[in-house]
Amino acid sequence: MTKVTLNVNGETRTASVPPEMTLLRLLREEFGLTGAKLGCDVGDCGACTVIVDGKTVNSCLMLAPQADGRDVLTVEGLATMERLHPIQKAFEEKGSLQCGFCGPGVIMSAKALLDENPDPSVLEIRDALAGNLCRCTGYSKMIEAIQDVARGDNRQPVGESA
Amino acid sequence: MRAFDVFTAKDSRHAVALLAEHAATSKVKVLAGGTDLLADLKFASASHAPDVVVDISRIEDLRSIAVTGDGLSIGALVTHTEIMRSPLIRDMFPAMVNAAHTIGAVQTRNLGTLGGNLVTAVPSVDSGPTLVALDALVTVLGPAGRRQMPLAEFFVGPRKTALKPDELLLEILIPTTSLGKPTCFLKFGLRKGQALALVNVAASFWVDRARNAFVAPRIALGAVAPKVVHASTAEAYLEGRAIAPEAMVEAGRLAVGDAKPISDFRASAEYRRDLVAVLTRRALEGAYELAKAKQSEK
Ligand SMILES: Cc1cc2nc3c(=O)[nH]c(=O)nc-3n(C[C@H](O)[C@H](O)[C@H](O)COP(=O)(O)OP(=O)(O)OC[C@H]3O[C@@H](n4cnc5c(N)ncnc54)[C@H](O)[C@@H]3O)c2cc1C
Ligand code: FES
Ligand code: FES
Repeated sequence: MTKVTLNVNGETRTASVPPEMTLLRLLREEFGLTGAKLGCDVGDCGACTVIVDGKTVNSCLMLAPQADGRDVLTVEGLATMERLHPIQKAFEEKGSLQCGFCGPGVIMSAKALLDENPDPSVLEIRDALAGNLCRCTGYSKMIEAIQDVARGDNRQPVGESA
Repeated sequence: MRAFDVFTAKDSRHAVALLAEHAATSKVKVLAGGTDLLADLKFASASHAPDVVVDISRIEDLRSIAVTGDGLSIGALVTHTEIMRSPLIRDMFPAMVNAAHTIGAVQTRNLGTLGGNLVTAVPSVDSGPTLVALDALVTVLGPAGRRQMPLAEFFVGPRKTALKPDELLLEILIPTTSLGKPTCFLKFGLRKGQALALVNVAASFWVDRARNAFVAPRIALGAVAPKVVHASTAEAYLEGRAIAPEAMVEAGRLAVGDAKPISDFRASAEYRRDLVAVLTRRALEGAYELAKAKQSEK
Protein backbone atom coordinates (compact mmCIF):
# COMPACT_ATOMS: atom_id res chain seq x y z
CA MET A 1 0.00 0.00 0.00
CA THR A 2 1.10 3.57 -0.72
CA LYS A 3 0.08 6.63 1.21
CA VAL A 4 -1.08 9.48 -1.00
CA THR A 5 -1.95 13.00 0.10
CA LEU A 6 -3.49 15.39 -2.36
CA ASN A 7 -5.48 18.56 -2.44
CA VAL A 8 -8.93 17.74 -3.78
CA ASN A 9 -11.28 20.67 -4.42
CA GLY A 10 -9.38 22.75 -1.88
CA GLU A 11 -9.25 20.13 0.88
CA THR A 12 -6.29 17.98 1.86
CA ARG A 13 -7.24 14.32 1.48
CA THR A 14 -5.17 11.28 2.38
CA ALA A 15 -5.58 7.60 1.59
CA SER A 16 -3.60 4.42 1.74
CA VAL A 17 -4.08 2.60 -1.56
CA PRO A 18 -2.54 -0.10 -3.71
CA PRO A 19 0.02 1.60 -6.00
CA GLU A 20 -1.73 0.38 -9.14
CA MET A 21 -4.93 2.22 -8.24
CA THR A 22 -5.88 4.94 -10.75
CA LEU A 23 -6.67 8.50 -9.71
CA LEU A 24 -10.23 7.90 -10.97
CA ARG A 25 -10.77 4.99 -8.59
CA LEU A 26 -9.11 6.92 -5.77
CA LEU A 27 -11.58 9.76 -6.26
CA ARG A 28 -14.64 7.58 -6.63
CA GLU A 29 -13.97 4.71 -4.25
CA GLU A 30 -11.81 6.25 -1.52
CA PHE A 31 -13.05 9.83 -1.48
CA GLY A 32 -16.66 9.20 -2.55
CA LEU A 33 -16.43 11.75 -5.37
CA THR A 34 -18.43 10.05 -8.08
CA GLY A 35 -18.72 13.02 -10.44
CA ALA A 36 -15.88 11.80 -12.65
CA LYS A 37 -17.21 8.72 -14.42
CA LEU A 38 -15.67 5.45 -15.50
CA GLY A 39 -16.42 5.12 -19.20
CA CYS A 40 -13.87 3.41 -21.40
CA ASP A 41 -11.01 3.22 -18.84
CA VAL A 42 -8.42 3.69 -21.63
CA GLY A 43 -8.34 7.42 -22.38
CA ASP A 44 -10.79 7.57 -25.26
CA CYS A 45 -14.03 8.96 -23.83
CA GLY A 46 -13.10 11.73 -21.37
CA ALA A 47 -15.89 10.85 -18.89
CA CYS A 48 -13.18 10.71 -16.19
CA THR A 49 -11.73 14.17 -16.99
CA VAL A 50 -10.50 16.12 -13.94
CA ILE A 51 -8.12 19.06 -13.65
CA VAL A 52 -4.70 18.33 -12.14
CA ASP A 53 -2.43 21.30 -11.44
CA GLY A 54 -4.49 23.40 -13.85
CA LYS A 55 -4.55 20.92 -16.75
CA THR A 56 -7.22 18.43 -17.79
CA VAL A 57 -6.24 14.79 -17.64
CA ASN A 58 -8.04 11.50 -18.04
CA SER A 59 -8.00 10.30 -14.44
CA CYS A 60 -8.31 6.69 -15.64
CA LEU A 61 -4.80 7.06 -17.10
CA MET A 62 -3.10 8.47 -14.02
CA LEU A 63 -1.95 6.38 -11.08
CA ALA A 64 -2.89 7.56 -7.60
CA PRO A 65 0.81 7.81 -6.60
CA GLN A 66 1.35 10.16 -9.57
CA ALA A 67 -1.27 12.50 -8.14
CA ASP A 68 0.41 12.57 -4.72
CA GLY A 69 1.01 16.17 -3.64
CA ARG A 70 -0.93 17.65 -6.55
CA ASP A 71 -4.01 19.88 -6.78
CA VAL A 72 -7.01 18.06 -8.18
CA LEU A 73 -10.25 19.76 -9.15
CA THR A 74 -13.33 17.66 -9.89
CA VAL A 75 -16.84 18.71 -10.92
CA GLU A 76 -17.84 18.58 -7.22
CA GLY A 77 -15.47 21.49 -6.64
CA LEU A 78 -17.34 23.88 -8.94
CA ALA A 79 -20.75 24.53 -7.41
CA THR A 80 -21.68 25.55 -3.88
CA MET A 81 -24.97 24.61 -2.21
CA GLU A 82 -26.29 28.05 -3.12
CA ARG A 83 -24.96 28.54 -6.59
CA LEU A 84 -24.08 26.60 -9.70
CA HIS A 85 -20.84 27.42 -11.47
CA PRO A 86 -21.50 29.71 -14.49
CA ILE A 87 -20.65 26.83 -16.86
CA GLN A 88 -23.11 24.54 -15.11
CA LYS A 89 -25.73 27.28 -15.15
CA ALA A 90 -25.24 27.81 -18.88
CA PHE A 91 -25.46 24.07 -19.54
CA GLU A 92 -28.71 23.98 -17.58
CA GLU A 93 -30.18 26.95 -19.43
CA LYS A 94 -29.22 25.66 -22.86
CA GLY A 95 -30.25 22.08 -22.14
CA SER A 96 -26.76 21.07 -23.17
CA LEU A 97 -26.91 17.56 -21.73
CA GLN A 98 -29.31 14.66 -22.14
CA CYS A 99 -28.37 11.56 -20.13
CA GLY A 100 -25.58 13.57 -18.51
CA PHE A 101 -22.97 10.83 -18.26
CA CYS A 102 -20.41 12.84 -20.23
CA GLY A 103 -21.30 16.07 -18.38
CA PRO A 104 -18.76 16.19 -15.56
CA GLY A 105 -15.93 15.56 -18.02
CA VAL A 106 -17.20 18.05 -20.59
CA ILE A 107 -17.67 20.72 -17.92
CA MET A 108 -14.13 20.23 -16.60
CA SER A 109 -12.74 20.52 -20.15
CA ALA A 110 -14.78 23.69 -20.65
CA LYS A 111 -13.53 25.07 -17.32
CA ALA A 112 -9.87 24.47 -18.21
CA LEU A 113 -10.42 26.06 -21.63
CA LEU A 114 -12.09 29.21 -20.27
CA ASP A 115 -9.49 29.58 -17.49
CA GLU A 116 -6.79 29.84 -20.13
CA ASN A 117 -8.72 31.39 -22.98
CA PRO A 118 -11.69 33.51 -21.83
CA ASP A 119 -12.84 34.20 -25.39
CA PRO A 120 -12.46 31.01 -27.42
CA SER A 121 -13.55 30.62 -31.04
CA VAL A 122 -15.94 27.79 -31.98
CA LEU A 123 -12.96 25.90 -33.41
CA GLU A 124 -11.07 26.30 -30.14
CA ILE A 125 -14.09 25.05 -28.21
CA ARG A 126 -14.41 22.02 -30.49
CA ASP A 127 -10.70 21.31 -30.08
CA ALA A 128 -11.04 21.53 -26.30
CA LEU A 129 -13.94 19.05 -26.33
CA ALA A 130 -12.44 16.60 -28.84
CA GLY A 131 -11.50 14.25 -26.01
CA ASN A 132 -14.99 14.18 -24.49
CA LEU A 133 -17.34 11.83 -26.25
CA CYS A 134 -21.07 12.44 -25.94
CA ARG A 135 -23.36 9.77 -27.34
CA CYS A 136 -26.58 11.74 -26.85
CA THR A 137 -26.39 15.35 -27.84
CA GLY A 138 -24.29 16.19 -30.87
CA TYR A 139 -22.35 18.85 -28.92
CA SER A 140 -24.02 21.96 -30.42
CA LYS A 141 -25.75 23.06 -27.21
CA MET A 142 -22.57 22.52 -25.23
CA ILE A 143 -20.65 24.76 -27.59
CA GLU A 144 -23.37 27.42 -27.40
CA ALA A 145 -23.36 27.24 -23.61
CA ILE A 146 -19.60 27.71 -23.48
CA GLN A 147 -19.91 30.69 -25.84
CA ASP A 148 -22.58 32.14 -23.55
CA VAL A 149 -20.26 31.85 -20.56
CA ALA A 150 -17.45 33.47 -22.52
CA ARG A 151 -19.76 36.37 -23.47
CA GLY A 152 -21.11 36.61 -19.93
CA ASP A 153 -24.70 36.00 -21.17
CA ASN A 154 -25.48 33.36 -18.60
CA ARG A 155 -25.30 35.87 -15.78
CA GLN A 156 -28.70 37.21 -16.85
CA PRO A 157 -31.56 35.82 -14.81
CA VAL A 158 -33.40 32.93 -16.41
CA GLY A 159 -36.35 34.02 -18.56
CA GLU A 160 -35.02 37.46 -19.37
CA SER A 161 -32.39 36.27 -21.79
CA ALA A 162 -34.84 35.65 -24.65
CA MET B 1 -4.88 -4.12 -13.24
CA ARG B 2 -2.44 -6.67 -11.87
CA ALA B 3 -0.58 -5.48 -8.78
CA PHE B 4 2.84 -3.87 -9.10
CA ASP B 5 5.15 -1.68 -7.04
CA VAL B 6 5.75 1.93 -8.01
CA PHE B 7 9.09 3.61 -7.37
CA THR B 8 9.36 7.34 -7.99
CA ALA B 9 12.59 8.52 -9.60
CA LYS B 10 14.05 11.84 -8.42
CA ASP B 11 16.28 12.45 -11.45
CA SER B 12 17.46 10.56 -14.50
CA ARG B 13 20.41 8.92 -12.68
CA HIS B 14 18.10 7.73 -9.96
CA ALA B 15 15.73 6.32 -12.59
CA VAL B 16 18.53 4.35 -14.23
CA ALA B 17 19.69 3.09 -10.82
CA LEU B 18 16.14 1.94 -10.04
CA LEU B 19 15.89 0.23 -13.44
CA ALA B 20 19.22 -1.55 -12.92
CA GLU B 21 18.28 -2.57 -9.40
CA HIS B 22 14.95 -4.12 -10.40
CA ALA B 23 15.64 -5.28 -13.98
CA ALA B 24 17.77 -8.14 -12.69
CA THR B 25 14.97 -9.80 -10.74
CA SER B 26 11.66 -8.43 -12.02
CA LYS B 27 9.84 -7.16 -15.06
CA VAL B 28 10.27 -3.37 -14.94
CA LYS B 29 8.46 -0.65 -16.87
CA VAL B 30 9.12 3.07 -17.08
CA LEU B 31 6.09 5.32 -16.54
CA ALA B 32 6.12 8.82 -18.04
CA GLY B 33 2.70 10.31 -18.91
CA GLY B 34 1.10 6.87 -18.74
CA THR B 35 -1.25 7.43 -21.68
CA ASP B 36 0.13 4.39 -23.49
CA LEU B 37 1.39 2.39 -20.54
CA LEU B 38 -1.75 2.46 -18.40
CA ALA B 39 -3.96 1.40 -21.27
CA ASP B 40 -1.48 -1.44 -21.94
CA LEU B 41 -1.30 -2.49 -18.30
CA LYS B 42 -5.05 -2.82 -18.06
CA PHE B 43 -5.01 -5.40 -20.84
CA ALA B 44 -1.61 -6.99 -20.24
CA SER B 45 -1.53 -10.75 -19.84
CA ALA B 46 0.16 -12.02 -16.68
CA SER B 47 3.32 -12.81 -18.63
CA HIS B 48 3.61 -9.22 -19.90
CA ALA B 49 2.55 -7.35 -16.79
CA PRO B 50 5.39 -5.66 -14.90
CA ASP B 51 6.12 -6.25 -11.22
CA VAL B 52 7.80 -2.89 -10.86
CA VAL B 53 6.98 0.48 -12.38
CA VAL B 54 9.55 3.29 -12.25
CA ASP B 55 7.66 6.59 -12.30
CA ILE B 56 9.77 9.21 -14.07
CA SER B 57 6.94 11.77 -14.35
CA ARG B 58 8.40 13.96 -11.59
CA ILE B 59 11.92 14.20 -12.97
CA GLU B 60 12.76 17.86 -13.58
CA ASP B 61 15.95 17.43 -15.63
CA LEU B 62 14.12 15.92 -18.63
CA ARG B 63 11.72 18.81 -19.28
CA SER B 64 13.76 21.48 -20.99
CA ILE B 65 13.47 22.79 -24.53
CA ALA B 66 16.70 24.62 -25.39
CA VAL B 67 19.15 25.40 -28.15
CA THR B 68 22.59 24.08 -27.21
CA GLY B 69 25.86 23.89 -29.13
CA ASP B 70 24.62 20.64 -30.67
CA GLY B 71 21.18 21.78 -31.81
CA LEU B 72 17.66 21.96 -30.38
CA SER B 73 17.43 19.68 -27.37
CA ILE B 74 13.99 18.52 -26.19
CA GLY B 75 13.77 16.57 -22.93
CA ALA B 76 12.00 13.20 -23.09
CA LEU B 77 9.35 14.37 -20.59
CA VAL B 78 8.26 17.42 -22.56
CA THR B 79 4.53 16.94 -23.19
CA HIS B 80 2.73 17.43 -26.50
CA THR B 81 0.97 20.46 -24.98
CA GLU B 82 4.34 21.96 -24.02
CA ILE B 83 5.61 21.44 -27.58
CA MET B 84 2.55 23.25 -28.93
CA ARG B 85 3.18 26.18 -26.59
CA SER B 86 6.94 26.50 -26.91
CA PRO B 87 7.75 29.80 -28.68
CA LEU B 88 11.12 28.33 -29.69
CA ILE B 89 9.58 25.30 -31.40
CA ARG B 90 6.76 27.37 -32.92
CA ASP B 91 9.33 29.62 -34.51
CA MET B 92 11.78 26.97 -35.72
CA PHE B 93 9.53 24.02 -36.46
CA PRO B 94 5.82 24.74 -36.90
CA ALA B 95 5.63 21.17 -38.25
CA MET B 96 6.36 19.86 -34.75
CA VAL B 97 3.55 22.00 -33.33
CA ASN B 98 1.18 20.68 -36.00
CA ALA B 99 2.24 17.10 -35.32
CA ALA B 100 1.75 17.51 -31.56
CA HIS B 101 -1.69 19.03 -32.16
CA THR B 102 -2.84 15.91 -34.03
CA ILE B 103 -2.05 13.60 -31.11
CA GLY B 104 -5.15 12.45 -29.24
CA ALA B 105 -7.07 15.24 -27.53
CA VAL B 106 -6.21 17.89 -24.93
CA GLN B 107 -6.24 15.42 -22.02
CA THR B 108 -3.84 13.04 -23.82
CA ARG B 109 -1.54 15.86 -24.91
CA ASN B 110 -1.40 17.28 -21.37
CA LEU B 111 -0.08 13.98 -19.99
CA GLY B 112 1.56 12.32 -22.99
CA THR B 113 5.25 12.99 -23.50
CA LEU B 114 7.44 13.15 -26.60
CA GLY B 115 9.68 10.45 -25.11
CA GLY B 116 6.76 8.13 -24.43
CA ASN B 117 5.43 8.64 -27.95
CA LEU B 118 8.79 7.66 -29.49
CA VAL B 119 9.46 4.71 -27.15
CA THR B 120 6.01 3.25 -27.83
CA ALA B 121 7.10 3.29 -31.49
CA VAL B 122 3.84 2.35 -33.16
CA PRO B 123 4.25 2.64 -36.97
CA SER B 124 1.80 5.59 -36.94
CA VAL B 125 3.73 7.49 -34.22
CA ASP B 126 2.79 11.09 -34.97
CA SER B 127 5.92 12.78 -33.66
CA GLY B 128 8.11 10.37 -35.66
CA PRO B 129 8.05 11.59 -39.28
CA THR B 130 8.92 15.24 -38.58
CA LEU B 131 11.83 14.28 -36.33
CA VAL B 132 13.11 11.63 -38.75
CA ALA B 133 12.89 14.17 -41.59
CA LEU B 134 14.99 16.55 -39.49
CA ASP B 135 17.65 13.85 -38.92
CA ALA B 136 16.99 13.96 -35.16
CA LEU B 137 19.16 12.01 -32.73
CA VAL B 138 18.17 10.49 -29.42
CA THR B 139 20.28 10.26 -26.29
CA VAL B 140 19.74 7.36 -23.92
CA LEU B 141 21.25 6.67 -20.50
CA GLY B 142 21.98 3.21 -19.14
CA PRO B 143 24.19 1.60 -16.52
CA ALA B 144 27.16 1.89 -18.93
CA GLY B 145 26.56 5.61 -19.55
CA ARG B 146 25.08 7.64 -22.38
CA ARG B 147 24.80 6.72 -26.02
CA GLN B 148 23.39 8.59 -28.97
CA MET B 149 21.88 7.34 -32.22
CA PRO B 150 19.73 8.60 -35.09
CA LEU B 151 16.02 8.37 -34.31
CA ALA B 152 15.61 6.48 -37.60
CA GLU B 153 17.77 3.69 -36.08
CA PHE B 154 16.22 3.96 -32.62
CA PHE B 155 12.98 2.79 -34.26
CA VAL B 156 13.41 -0.94 -34.92
CA GLY B 157 9.92 -2.23 -35.74
CA PRO B 158 6.31 -2.08 -34.57
CA ARG B 159 6.51 -1.21 -30.85
CA LYS B 160 10.21 -2.04 -30.87
CA THR B 161 13.11 0.33 -30.28
CA ALA B 162 16.84 -0.01 -29.69
CA LEU B 163 16.26 0.87 -26.01
CA LYS B 164 17.35 -1.82 -23.52
CA PRO B 165 15.11 -2.57 -20.52
CA ASP B 166 17.53 -0.80 -18.16
CA GLU B 167 17.92 2.28 -20.35
CA LEU B 168 16.15 5.62 -20.20
CA LEU B 169 15.48 7.94 -23.13
CA LEU B 170 16.85 11.33 -22.06
CA GLU B 171 16.48 13.76 -24.93
CA ILE B 172 15.71 14.27 -28.57
CA LEU B 173 18.24 16.40 -30.43
CA ILE B 174 17.56 18.18 -33.71
CA PRO B 175 21.08 18.81 -34.99
CA THR B 176 22.38 22.29 -35.76
CA THR B 177 22.41 21.46 -39.48
CA SER B 178 18.60 21.12 -39.38
CA LEU B 179 17.76 24.17 -37.27
CA GLY B 180 15.04 26.19 -38.97
CA LYS B 181 14.89 23.84 -41.95
CA PRO B 182 11.52 24.34 -43.67
CA THR B 183 9.45 21.28 -42.78
CA CYS B 184 5.83 20.28 -43.18
CA PHE B 185 3.93 17.48 -41.38
CA LEU B 186 0.63 16.10 -42.63
CA LYS B 187 -1.53 13.40 -41.08
CA PHE B 188 -4.52 11.72 -42.59
CA GLY B 189 -6.91 10.07 -40.14
CA LEU B 190 -10.54 9.02 -40.42
CA ARG B 191 -11.68 11.85 -38.13
CA LYS B 192 -10.20 15.20 -37.17
CA GLY B 193 -10.00 14.44 -33.47
CA GLN B 194 -8.56 11.43 -31.66
CA ALA B 195 -7.80 9.32 -34.72
CA LEU B 196 -4.63 7.39 -35.46
CA ALA B 197 -2.94 8.17 -38.76
CA LEU B 198 -3.76 6.07 -41.82
CA VAL B 199 -0.67 7.73 -43.24
CA ASN B 200 1.47 10.55 -41.89
CA VAL B 201 4.23 12.28 -43.81
CA ALA B 202 6.87 14.91 -43.17
CA ALA B 203 8.90 16.67 -45.85
CA SER B 204 11.85 18.95 -45.28
CA PHE B 205 14.42 20.64 -47.50
CA TRP B 206 16.67 23.67 -47.87
CA VAL B 207 16.41 25.84 -50.92
CA ASP B 208 19.45 26.67 -53.04
CA ARG B 209 18.60 30.32 -53.73
CA ALA B 210 20.74 30.77 -56.83
CA ARG B 211 19.28 27.77 -58.66
CA ASN B 212 15.95 27.50 -56.79
CA ALA B 213 16.76 23.82 -56.21
CA PHE B 214 16.16 21.22 -53.48
CA VAL B 215 19.03 20.78 -51.03
CA ALA B 216 19.12 17.91 -48.53
CA PRO B 217 15.50 16.88 -49.17
CA ARG B 218 14.06 14.52 -46.59
CA ILE B 219 10.72 12.71 -46.74
CA ALA B 220 9.64 10.51 -43.84
CA LEU B 221 6.59 8.25 -44.01
CA GLY B 222 4.63 6.83 -41.08
CA ALA B 223 2.03 4.04 -40.80
CA VAL B 224 3.08 2.49 -44.12
CA ALA B 225 5.94 0.26 -42.95
CA PRO B 226 6.92 -1.52 -39.70
CA LYS B 227 8.50 1.76 -38.59
CA VAL B 228 8.88 5.35 -39.80
CA VAL B 229 10.90 5.18 -43.03
CA HIS B 230 12.68 7.58 -45.35
CA ALA B 231 11.30 7.72 -48.87
CA SER B 232 14.87 7.27 -50.10
CA THR B 233 14.09 7.01 -53.82
CA ALA B 234 12.07 10.21 -53.73
CA GLU B 235 14.78 11.97 -51.71
CA ALA B 236 17.49 10.94 -54.19
CA TYR B 237 15.33 12.11 -57.08
CA LEU B 238 14.85 15.57 -55.56
CA GLU B 239 18.43 16.24 -54.48
CA GLY B 240 19.77 19.16 -56.51
CA ARG B 241 16.71 19.24 -58.78
CA ALA B 242 14.98 22.53 -59.66
CA ILE B 243 11.93 23.16 -57.49
CA ALA B 244 8.80 22.77 -59.61
CA PRO B 245 5.28 21.38 -59.13
CA GLU B 246 6.03 18.46 -61.49
CA ALA B 247 9.04 17.46 -59.40
CA MET B 248 6.85 17.34 -56.29
CA VAL B 249 4.26 15.18 -58.05
CA GLU B 250 6.99 12.82 -59.25
CA ALA B 251 8.49 12.64 -55.74
CA GLY B 252 5.05 11.64 -54.46
CA ARG B 253 4.84 8.91 -57.06
CA LEU B 254 8.32 7.62 -56.16
CA ALA B 255 7.55 7.72 -52.42
CA VAL B 256 4.81 5.14 -53.03
CA GLY B 257 7.53 2.69 -54.03
CA ASP B 258 9.37 3.39 -50.76
CA ALA B 259 6.26 2.49 -48.70
CA LYS B 260 5.15 -1.02 -47.78
CA PRO B 261 1.67 -0.48 -46.43
CA ILE B 262 -0.59 -3.23 -45.14
CA SER B 263 -4.36 -3.53 -45.27
CA ASP B 264 -6.16 -3.45 -41.95
CA PHE B 265 -9.55 -2.45 -40.58
CA ARG B 266 -8.70 1.25 -40.98
CA ALA B 267 -7.71 1.24 -44.65
CA SER B 268 -6.53 -0.93 -47.52
CA ALA B 269 -2.92 -0.94 -48.68
CA GLU B 270 -4.07 0.50 -52.00
CA TYR B 271 -5.75 3.47 -50.30
CA ARG B 272 -2.66 4.06 -48.19
CA ARG B 273 -0.46 4.08 -51.32
CA ASP B 274 -2.67 6.77 -52.87
CA LEU B 275 -2.42 8.76 -49.64
CA VAL B 276 1.38 8.53 -49.69
CA ALA B 277 1.53 10.08 -53.17
CA VAL B 278 -0.89 12.89 -52.31
CA LEU B 279 0.44 13.68 -48.84
CA THR B 280 4.07 13.63 -49.99
CA ARG B 281 3.33 16.16 -52.71
CA ARG B 282 1.33 18.35 -50.33
CA ALA B 283 4.02 18.16 -47.63
CA LEU B 284 6.65 19.25 -50.17
CA GLU B 285 4.39 22.13 -51.22
CA GLY B 286 3.87 23.06 -47.57
CA ALA B 287 7.60 23.06 -46.83
CA TYR B 288 8.21 25.21 -49.90
CA GLU B 289 5.57 27.75 -48.79
CA LEU B 290 7.37 27.96 -45.46
CA ALA B 291 10.74 28.38 -47.16
CA LYS B 292 9.39 31.26 -49.24
CA ALA B 293 7.77 32.89 -46.20
CA LYS B 294 11.03 32.65 -44.26
CA GLN B 295 12.92 34.18 -47.16
CA SER B 296 10.58 37.15 -47.46
CA GLU B 297 10.90 37.83 -43.71
CA LYS B 298 14.60 38.44 -44.17
C1 LIG C 1 -6.97 8.47 -26.38
C2 LIG C 1 -5.58 8.40 -26.91
C3 LIG C 1 -5.28 8.92 -28.14
C4 LIG C 1 -3.99 8.85 -28.66
N1 LIG C 1 -3.75 9.37 -29.88
C5 LIG C 1 -2.51 9.33 -30.40
C6 LIG C 1 -2.24 9.89 -31.68
O1 LIG C 1 -3.13 10.43 -32.34
N2 LIG C 1 -0.98 9.80 -32.17
C7 LIG C 1 0.02 9.21 -31.47
O2 LIG C 1 1.15 9.17 -31.97
N3 LIG C 1 -0.19 8.67 -30.23
C8 LIG C 1 -1.42 8.72 -29.70
N4 LIG C 1 -1.67 8.17 -28.46
C9 LIG C 1 -0.59 7.49 -27.77
C10 LIG C 1 0.09 8.24 -26.62
O3 LIG C 1 -0.71 9.22 -26.06
C11 LIG C 1 1.40 8.89 -27.01
O4 LIG C 1 2.24 7.94 -27.59
C12 LIG C 1 2.11 9.53 -25.80
O5 LIG C 1 3.03 10.47 -26.27
C13 LIG C 1 2.82 8.54 -24.92
O6 LIG C 1 3.56 9.25 -23.94
P1 LIG C 1 3.43 8.93 -22.39
O7 LIG C 1 4.34 9.88 -21.70
O8 LIG C 1 2.03 8.93 -21.97
O9 LIG C 1 4.02 7.47 -22.36
P2 LIG C 1 3.87 6.29 -21.29
O10 LIG C 1 2.55 5.67 -21.43
O11 LIG C 1 4.27 6.76 -19.94
O12 LIG C 1 5.00 5.33 -21.84
C14 LIG C 1 4.90 4.72 -23.10
C15 LIG C 1 6.02 3.69 -23.26
O13 LIG C 1 7.28 4.33 -23.31
C16 LIG C 1 8.09 3.95 -22.22
N5 LIG C 1 8.77 5.19 -21.83
C17 LIG C 1 8.18 6.42 -21.69
N6 LIG C 1 9.10 7.36 -21.46
C18 LIG C 1 10.30 6.75 -21.46
C19 LIG C 1 11.64 7.20 -21.29
N7 LIG C 1 11.94 8.50 -21.11
N8 LIG C 1 12.65 6.29 -21.33
C20 LIG C 1 12.36 4.98 -21.54
N9 LIG C 1 11.12 4.49 -21.72
C21 LIG C 1 10.10 5.36 -21.69
C22 LIG C 1 7.17 3.31 -21.21
O14 LIG C 1 7.82 2.32 -20.48
C23 LIG C 1 6.10 2.72 -22.10
O15 LIG C 1 6.53 1.49 -22.60
C24 LIG C 1 -2.96 8.23 -27.91
C25 LIG C 1 -3.26 7.72 -26.65
C26 LIG C 1 -4.54 7.80 -26.14
C27 LIG C 1 -4.83 7.24 -24.79
S1 FES D 1 -12.84 6.52 -18.61
FE1 FES D 1 -11.08 7.71 -18.76
S2 FES D 1 -11.14 8.38 -20.80
FE2 FES D 1 -12.80 7.00 -20.74
S1 FES E 1 -25.47 13.59 -22.58
FE1 FES E 1 -25.45 11.45 -22.74
S2 FES E 1 -23.38 11.06 -23.25
FE2 FES E 1 -23.47 13.17 -23.32
